[in-house]
Amino acid sequence: MKAAAILIPLLPMTSFIITGLLGKRYFREKSHYLPVAAVAASWLLSMFVIVQVERGETLSWQIYSWIAAGNFNVDVGIQIDQLTAVMLLVVSTVGFMVHVYSIGYMKGDPGYYRFFAYLNLFMFSMYMLVLANNFLLLYVFWEAVGLCSYLLIAFWYPKVSAANAGTKAFLVNRVGDFGFGLGVILIFVTLGTLNYTAVFGHAGDIGTGTLTAITLLLFVGAVGKSAQFPLHVWLPDAMEGPTPVSSLIHAATMVNAGVYMVARSSPLFFESTTTMFIVALVGTFTAIFAASIALVQNDIKKVLAYSTVSQLGFMFAALGVGAWVAGLFHLVAHGFFKGLLFLASGSVIHALGGEQDMRNMGGLKNKIKITYWTFIIGALAIAGFPGLAGFFSKDAILEQVFLGGYWYFWIVAITTSFMTAFYMFRLIFMTFHGEPRDLKAFGHAHESPRVMWVPLVVLAVPSALIGLALGFPPGAGHIDSFLRPVFEEVLGAEHHFGLLEGGLMAFSALIGIVGILAAWRMYVIRPDLPVKTGARFQGAYRVLLNKYWIDEIYFALIINPVRALSRGLWRFVDINIIDGFVNGSALFFRGVGNLFRPAHSGKVQSYLFTMFLGLLVLLAAYWILTL
Amino acid sequence: MEFSPIPFYIVSALVIICAIAMIYFKELIYSALSMVACFMAIAGIYILLNAELVAGAQVLIYVAAISILVIFAIMLTRHRKGDFWLFFHRQSVVTLPFVVVAGIVLTVVLATAAYDSSEEALNPPDEEMARLLFQDYSFPFEVLSLVLLVAIMGAILLAMRERRR
Amino acid sequence: MTPLQHYLALATILFFIGAWGMMARRNIIMVIMCIELMLNAVNISLVAFSNYMPSPVPGRGEVFVFFVFGLSAAEAAVGLGIAIALYRLRERLSVDELDGMKG
Repeated sequence: MKAAAILIPLLPMTSFIITGLLGKRYFREKSHYLPVAAVAASWLLSMFVIVQVERGETLSWQIYSWIAAGNFNVDVGIQIDQLTAVMLLVVSTVGFMVHVYSIGYMKGDPGYYRFFAYLNLFMFSMYMLVLANNFLLLYVFWEAVGLCSYLLIAFWYPKVSAANAGTKAFLVNRVGDFGFGLGVILIFVTLGTLNYTAVFGHAGDIGTGTLTAITLLLFVGAVGKSAQFPLHVWLPDAMEGPTPVSSLIHAATMVNAGVYMVARSSPLFFESTTTMFIVALVGTFTAIFAASIALVQNDIKKVLAYSTVSQLGFMFAALGVGAWVAGLFHLVAHGFFKGLLFLASGSVIHALGGEQDMRNMGGLKNKIKITYWTFIIGALAIAGFPGLAGFFSKDAILEQVFLGGYWYFWIVAITTSFMTAFYMFRLIFMTFHGEPRDLKAFGHAHESPRVMWVPLVVLAVPSALIGLALGFPPGAGHIDSFLRPVFEEVLGAEHHFGLLEGGLMAFSALIGIVGILAAWRMYVIRPDLPVKTGARFQGAYRVLLNKYWIDEIYFALIINPVRALSRGLWRFVDINIIDGFVNGSALFFRGVGNLFRPAHSGKVQSYLFTMFLGLLVLLAAYWILTL
Repeated sequence: MEFSPIPFYIVSALVIICAIAMIYFKELIYSALSMVACFMAIAGIYILLNAELVAGAQVLIYVAAISILVIFAIMLTRHRKGDFWLFFHRQSVVTLPFVVVAGIVLTVVLATAAYDSSEEALNPPDEEMARLLFQDYSFPFEVLSLVLLVAIMGAILLAMRERRR
Repeated sequence: MTPLQHYLALATILFFIGAWGMMARRNIIMVIMCIELMLNAVNISLVAFSNYMPSPVPGRGEVFVFFVFGLSAAEAAVGLGIAIALYRLRERLSVDELDGMKG
């Protein structure tokens, strides 16, 4: 177990170093061999670890003491429990599939070796993030995955928009990470330790005010990393990166880090009712907010990006109302079907030679059959079609929100659920059905190579079945009993599945199907309807299309004032005062130097004479002092 | 045992005259010879001070070795002939009063100070000196020989004519 | 017996003669010779103190003189080596013309 635990992160790390250093010169188009092999081995080891955890074996291992300064002690250590195992399942599986998929997707790219090196670095960081046993280590790798995200968003850095998107993601994440960092510091100041076990053991000893401050700060970090309102703006822009990156980092793994962190800190969050309510509020609001934007977007990846933001909002809503298991269940299910959807959308983009605008697609369902069917499975899963993954996980959330007494959140969430089904099938109908709108691209369209569609098929299996496997029967499925040890103290009693729950489930399934049918009516039967609707509700349409002008608001409120301030500081303070000071001191010392320059005549004997005079002065001083 | 102070005055007069002559001579070889005479006279001072071993070493090292080095250096280089100011700095005029005044003041200070000096000569006989040098101080002595070796190698390296490439 | 003060006076005078020579003469070989002179002045004072001042280990001052001998020999060897190398390089031995370090 120990060997497996340490090898899981180390294999991708080794591969990163080797590929990163030697890839450009020696591996070139063979750069993927080592990274894919390393990730495959990590996947096998993860499965082994998960099986071990399933048997009831957990691991808490202090590898070595990292920092020991006074009473500030931090270890590098690995902790494996049921929560870690669940994260490993998603990270390793989607990671492995994305690596395989990238072989085809990135073929011929000049940065081929670099791409795989970065992906490996990301895998290492993400594994360490979920394996860490203390908050500082978590923070370090929290930043590391942020760095990888930046590197991969800006992977095609010659493109200005890609470089800008990378910078934006990095900067917006800084805001969240700053809060997270403060939270970690506050934990240390309060408890004097950062180790999970020790911190959670003392969760009850912290005062309510401090605890609320800590959890809110930690949540700010989660909001940044998991792209919740108001820090969601980076995720849609992050779609500038290659599609496998969007799939792995910005759908299935890294953005889940915030959810994971909140779930990991459940003993802290549980103690603070205020924070829990804020988490639920932010989550629910983000869910409907992002879903409404997704309704009208035309870029296939942007729709999926807003969908991700919305689904992450669902997870936070679940965590906020105390439905820890449901939140994590949705994380797993979402990791699989959103990873699948992104890879499938990448396959569409690949087929059309880089086209991302859905208005130029259409009628592709017979041209790229495998992509179409896997896409349908993913979309049905996210829409909550009965029997598929999203049905169980999302209904678990909806049900617990309702049963927890948060009926207002439930209304919002069920509306979001309708929107989700609608925009997902709007995407499918626009892309795959109807008449081809761009005949030239349509003519060239072709199914992706096997190395790309096999991962789609592989991911379609858990997208379809993981709900049944883990979440059936609802509320008492395998995942409930599996995760119960982690949330023992913060989880209420098990409740029985009764008539009310059955009714809720049926209702949300119905809502999903209605959403699908509405999309069918608008985009297949009456293709003129969307335009008419858009014209009738022009105001609302424009608000949504422009994403509530959040970016513009940020520009007006933060970016432009800061820019103006910086420019002012540069023009006046920097040039006049700072530069003046620097140049002034330089001038001063040059003047003093010139003053003493004649003394350096280069004539040894003048120096000697000076030395002699100095000796005399010293002697005189000594004589006078001892007189 | 009563010593007469006369030999000291004679020898020290010799030392000072030779030293001044060494500085004064324009021709370097005369200076070097004056230096040899001066060092010989200093060896005499050591004998007066009961330090026969030091006197012997003085003759061997200064009068023989270093003087030979200096004379060789003089012979290996060519020298200009000219008037006084070719050999002396202009600054020598400026420094002279300082040196004279400081020298006189310091001499007076040192010569009039009171010391707890003993009435009889304290320098030990040569056997005792040898014991000190080769037993108690044998390690510094060996280090000194190493320093000398390095210095000789350095001097050879410096003075060696560079090989034409 | 000649008092200690006389020896010290002799040493001081010799030292200042050497010091003036070092500052006044132009030739580098002459400068080295003057340094030797100053070292000898110091040696005289060392031996004189050793002879007159009581010490737990008699003769220690004299031992020190031997080390000064060694070092002055080393210094003379290196100094004269530099003088010869300089002469070969510049055909000059005047210290005041060697002002390459002028600021």
